[in-house]
Amino acid sequence: MDIGDCYVGWATDEDIRTRGASGGLVTAMLAAALEKGLVEAVVVLKKLGEFEAVPVVTSDPEEVKAAAGSMHSVPIVLSRYLDYGTKVALPAKPCDARSTLEQAKRGQVDIDTTYIVGLNCGGTMHPAVTREMLDVMYKLDPEDIEGEEIDKGKLIFETKDGEEHAIKIDELEEEGYGRRESCQYCAVNIPTMADIACGNWGVIGDLAGKGTFVEINTKKGIEILQNAIDAGAVEITPADDKGKAIRAKVDGAMMNVAAAANDKFLAPIEGSHLDYYMNALSDCINCGACKTVCPVCACGEGAKCTDFSSASDTYKMSLFHLVRFVHLMDSCIGCGQCTDVCPVDIPLTHIYQRFAVPMQEEFEYKPGMDMTTPPFFGVDLVEEGH
Amino acid sequence: MNENIFTTVCPGCSIACGMYIREKDDGTFDIDWRKDAVVNAGKLCRFGVRLSANLKNATSKVDGNEVELSDAVTAAGKAIGDGATFVSVGNTTCAEHLALMKLAESKGAVVNTGMGAFSSIPAECHPTMGVGIPFDAIESAKKIVLFIDPYEQYPLLVRRILAAKKNGATVTAVGWKAVSLADDNKTIDPANYESDLALDSDSVIIAELNPSTDPERVMVLLNLAKASGAAIMFMKPFVNAVGCDLASKKTEQKSLDQIIAEINDGSIKTLVCLDSDLIEIMPDETAVREALGKLDNLIAITSRASAIADVANIVVATEPLYKKAGTIVNAEGRALHNSGESTDGIDAIGAMMGQPVGMYDEIHATLLATLGIDEVDERVVPAYEKPEYKAMDANPTAEAVETALVYAGGPFFWTGMVDDNDFVEMNLDMVTANSLLKGIPAKITSDKGEVAVKYKVSDVAPGVVLSNAKLPMTTGMVTSVTVSR
Repeated sequence: MDIGDCYVGWATDEDIRTRGASGGLVTAMLAAALEKGLVEAVVVLKKLGEFEAVPVVTSDPEEVKAAAGSMHSVPIVLSRYLDYGTKVALPAKPCDARSTLEQAKRGQVDIDTTYIVGLNCGGTMHPAVTREMLDVMYKLDPEDIEGEEIDKGKLIFETKDGEEHAIKIDELEEEGYGRRESCQYCAVNIPTMADIACGNWGVIGDLAGKGTFVEINTKKGIEILQNAIDAGAVEITPADDKGKAIRAKVDGAMMNVAAAANDKFLAPIEGSHLDYYMNALSDCINCGACKTVCPVCACGEGAKCTDFSSASDTYKMSLFHLVRFVHLMDSCIGCGQCTDVCPVDIPLTHIYQRFAVPMQEEFEYKPGMDMTTPPFFGVDLVEEGH
Repeated sequence: MNENIFTTVCPGCSIACGMYIREKDDGTFDIDWRKDAVVNAGKLCRFGVRLSANLKNATSKVDGNEVELSDAVTAAGKAIGDGATFVSVGNTTCAEHLALMKLAESKGAVVNTGMGAFSSIPAECHPTMGVGIPFDAIESAKKIVLFIDPYEQYPLLVRRILAAKKNGATVTAVGWKAVSLADDNKTIDPANYESDLALDSDSVIIAELNPSTDPERVMVLLNLAKASGAAIMFMKPFVNAVGCDLASKKTEQKSLDQIIAEINDGSIKTLVCLDSDLIEIMPDETAVREALGKLDNLIAITSRASAIADVANIVVATEPLYKKAGTIVNAEGRALHNSGESTDGIDAIGAMMGQPVGMYDEIHATLLATLGIDEVDERVVPAYEKPEYKAMDANPTAEAVETALVYAGGPFFWTGMVDDNDFVEMNLDMVTANSLLKGIPAKITSDKGEVAVKYKVSDVAPGVVLSNAKLPMTTGMVTSVTVSR
């Protein structure tokens, strides 16, 4: 097994295979990592309802197995739950994986002890929006939902009576539902920065729907997959070229969709930029939730954004935000968490991206994509001889 | 490595935002966002975000000495005799409040929720004063009139009001300070509310009812709602004030001011406070401390370390709110389930009246019957009857002072918790008239004393010095002061 190899794999345990997505490979791999002592803990989403799950750090393989299955309506970034030094594995959407790498660059995560099991992602939905969408678009009671999946551009809900209800995601998004805005313009769908990238794209033929396409990206990726094979928890077969080509094609199509969304949502500001930002932030209540939830913020309590601002300030735009807009230009991955938790619904991710994207393009630095390039602020300091 | 995670609500106000509490092995905790919470979609204000830094567990004590919970309970059981006065403003679960009601009844007393307005206003108004309207109804209103500052007092209402504006609503704010989301900020004589505001049945009035609220002011607003057909919602500063009110609705309530007065005249000798810190809740902290010092027995049954726990003769330290088994009823009247399973607090109160452990199930059934529901479902607001009431003669106390220090309220204020709020706000005219200098604290002087405090220029009403933090020279929610350099 080498870096760059691609396989299709599945769980050997029938229960995990049935409950997990695409053959349950990820669940089986994470549980085996705990059972064989490769890691001390796994971060998983503990399911509390059809649209509700809470991140838990667990050393119990049964809890990992119980977390099997994808949940598109639980938009949470798991990297915030990593403890430095703990040997840990986490299932990681691209934003989970990218923020883990950005934290590692800032000394908050020990990348050598962190196994990142990447999951392909086409986007997530806010549970409140999902519930409203079910009511308005699907004419379904959210309490009747028993499962959901995304297939061939459609969002499909299964109701308790076994019926499937599908609507094209494009159609949902035109009506303001579907994926979160930041997911619509996110162009990173395959977590190539993770130790191992898993997903159902490229699984064809008899294995379609029963297996997970796996790409090995690092030595840790080999380790965690081989560990699961040695434990008898998963089986794999080499991926064929046709599958690889289909996976790349799906990724390409998703990136095109994201580029179009980027043009739509991040179109140039018309009129005064100052007015735009002042209006956007006028309802800010200075709660600090955007900083607290940010998975790439590594500053802790003594941060410049909080130290340089106070509720007693009378500036027309808060220094807290101004500092953060600048400070996150080299690290904002557009995960959407700040917008999700903003109590007055300021589209913060959108604003951060307006600052970050031009600078990231200028410096040709896309945060969280690898561990080799330091943040561009850091590069400049080195080049200036500081 | 397994974590204790509780699905609970923020204790900051009667919105009762859903949240997770992630408890660590050392007893400290972090908060986490519960995005599927129907009340707040996971969003929290500054109070909720900072909860883990501010909320500390209490320690059981008798006469200042740390003791085991059981010893504190035994001491409390002996100290609480007939004639004791009981207070529970709504900072705990309905079940614990109902347990305290049983204890009070066994002593021939009632539990006071501290909302004196309830005993001053006809009972036919109580359902309208108690339970508000679903927050969704704010979003569909055509006209909203605010008698609160949502940014400071009830921040999670801001998004509801902004959503209403997106839907075409107009917003008028009648308050001490202009709020930026309002289309119109006004100062109106209460006698002219009806004509100036021109509300109708598509309108929503949002006001506050707190222990210091002038009942006459409540009556004016009730009259306004009645005359216009507008829906009215009285927000409360305590997370379960509505639930406790519903449980206590047939009791004769004393206001907190009355209770303090009766302590001072010697007619109250024993006071039992269930998660109700009068030092924090009442505006004149000095006067409250003096009064509490005159009691033979001050018994604090409390889930958190707060000022009253430092002065109480007996502190019965119960588990934090998030761990308690029970239900919270928020300002909408929505029943919200706490995932905690501990009944230590209820059992402690039960033990004070010689009841065996295990009252919870019986008490919870009583609550469900009171709410008219079979089970707690956060997605369904129980139906509440709100009978018609008669218009009342009302003459709100006129705050006829030239310059007044006014408390804005808000979660940090009502819980006495630390925040970045060590300043007052005043308008530019007041700054100029008093020759205040930038960067130099303003001196605020009342009959009781003087403080020097940072100030901020804001769009507050003329003559108003607005504060979100308690200052030692105040005598009420509104205190006559002078300002100088």
